[in-house]
Amino acid sequence: MGGVDPSTGEILDRDSGSQGRSVCDSILCFPYGRGSTVGSYAIYQLKLNGKAPAAMVNQSAEPIVATGAIISDIPMVDGIDTSLMVSGDDVLVDASNGVAEIKGVEEQCVVTSILRNNGKILILRRSGEVRSYRGQWAGVSGYIEEGESDLDAAIREVMEEANVKVADPVRRIRPESFRSGNTVWTVHAFLFDVPSRQVSTDWEHDEHKWIGPEDLPGFDLVPGLDVVVGMLLGRVNQ
Amino acid sequence: MYLTRDEERILDGEQGPSKKKAMELLVALGDIYKAERLISIASAQVSGASFKTIGEAGIKWLEGMSMDARATVPAMVNPLGLDMKRWRSMGISPEFHSRQERIIAAYEAMGLLPVYSCTPYLTAHKPRSGQHIAWAESSATVFANSVIGARTNREGGPSALAAAIIGKTAEYGLHLDENRVPRVQIKLEHVPEELTPIAGYLTGKIAGNRIPMVTGFRMTKDQHKSFGAAVAATGAVSMYAFEAKGGADKHGDQSYEETVEIGVSDLNRCADELKGGEEFDLVAIGCPHCSTDELREMAGRLKGKKPRGNADVWFCTSREAYAACPEAVSVLRGFGQVLCDTCMVVAPIEELYRSTATNSGKAMMYLPSLGRQKASFRTTDELLEAISR
Repeated sequence: MGGVDPSTGEILDRDSGSQGRSVCDSILCFPYGRGSTVGSYAIYQLKLNGKAPAAMVNQSAEPIVATGAIISDIPMVDGIDTSLMVSGDDVLVDASNGVAEIKGVEEQCVVTSILRNNGKILILRRSGEVRSYRGQWAGVSGYIEEGESDLDAAIREVMEEANVKVADPVRRIRPESFRSGNTVWTVHAFLFDVPSRQVSTDWEHDEHKWIGPEDLPGFDLVPGLDVVVGMLLGRVNQ
Repeated sequence: MYLTRDEERILDGEQGPSKKKAMELLVALGDIYKAERLISIASAQVSGASFKTIGEAGIKWLEGMSMDARATVPAMVNPLGLDMKRWRSMGISPEFHSRQERIIAAYEAMGLLPVYSCTPYLTAHKPRSGQHIAWAESSATVFANSVIGARTNREGGPSALAAAIIGKTAEYGLHLDENRVPRVQIKLEHVPEELTPIAGYLTGKIAGNRIPMVTGFRMTKDQHKSFGAAVAATGAVSMYAFEAKGGADKHGDQSYEETVEIGVSDLNRCADELKGGEEFDLVAIGCPHCSTDELREMAGRLKGKKPRGNADVWFCTSREAYAACPEAVSVLRGFGQVLCDTCMVVAPIEELYRSTATNSGKAMMYLPSLGRQKASFRTTDELLEAISR
């Protein structure tokens, strides 16, 4: 705080990526606040000047912003992944239930499995027949069907798309969400060790390769695959 | 967080809008820090009392709360932007004064005690060891936790006021045993007394958000006051541990994440780096507020001397300490102003001066930013020499 002009509501902070926009009557989404106790009063000053945001959405609330929201009667929710929101989104905030919904944006829950054999991982190029990300390289991926657990979906997809039978994953990670256009992809990712590099792909892919994880950046990847692989293999997030 | 039925009723607004707001604040903070419940407090100390720091928005909020909210436990206030008796001679504008008066009126309407000091533990209200309190001033918080053994987080202004009104605070952070364990050891050896604030300044920087265990440095109460203020200003921590009498480790034998030694040469280097320019138009002593002992000691050294130099001089203290040693005050008044209820950090110093010399490690953090001063660190002796002959 202090990054907003209290008399106009204009964002001054250059690091915000939204410099020049006004917070007035907006749904203000940002990961977390910083600054001193004076920041709470800065929010209240915006309210007094009629330039306050209509609501605030935080990844993790901290005392300065939470105090500012309460003394200013501004609805606020936290625990929301604000990286999924882009400026201009139509966001519906329900502060009583702690929910923020991005209008017109759908969440798709998918599984992605990385098969590993002797240090190499399997990536597949999506064919011209599939609906999304044609020609890009991915893990073994697919939608989680209604009533199906994510692990069951992963095992089913590995059988369908690679004709490999897997059972217990070596590792799984907390589902990661990525925004792409009007879709939020929530990826449930698994790592399976397989005894051989024998795979046969179905119509969804036209090529596959066993590569070292360090060679990933050389490929045109579906969004987020590098992050997911890094987490599955226990590397630091990029 | 679990709320009792009475607390629920306050949250539902049954006892008026201001109490509801206060309860909302406590509950929101409790949720953020995953507190399980609210706990009763023995006292509160509220920051955000100077018009300079809270502005028009702060006045409006306090005036709104004062319509129907009252403190239910003894509650003190942080220093103001001026001395209510001597603001004209400080050079404060009537506009600033009139806004400051509204802030005072709001706090007094809510039943807060007219104690405008960062050192309430010296005079107005000394908590007991183990008591839970909700204090906001960082230097008072660190003293209460570290030296007295009371328990408080560093509250924000509004949350400390909310705690004063409800008489409770959320149980998290330094209220809980597991969060009061030192994680880094700071070995201080042969610290010259006058570099105590510098030792605190460096300790806070090294500690960051970890509670430090300070060894090898025995301090008087007044030294703890200036050491802790600097620790809390440069570090994000409201407590330190230190060796109790006899050299025994208060917290038992334990391993620390890190042990850092600060030698005399480190202290001298830091003091040199903070030395700043040779010219200053204000000499400011009393951050935290001078104790009666400190006022007497300085008066003893200045007695019989004559004032020197063109710089203005502020000795900042509490009303209570001022009233307790009239003779010392009259000596000090021969060399400058003895001010109550305010200090160089929260007064609108940027409208009055451009460069300030101080013996305070805490003020060295805030004078350049909040006060827009060229700041120069000097030991108390050096400052007294500069203003007398």
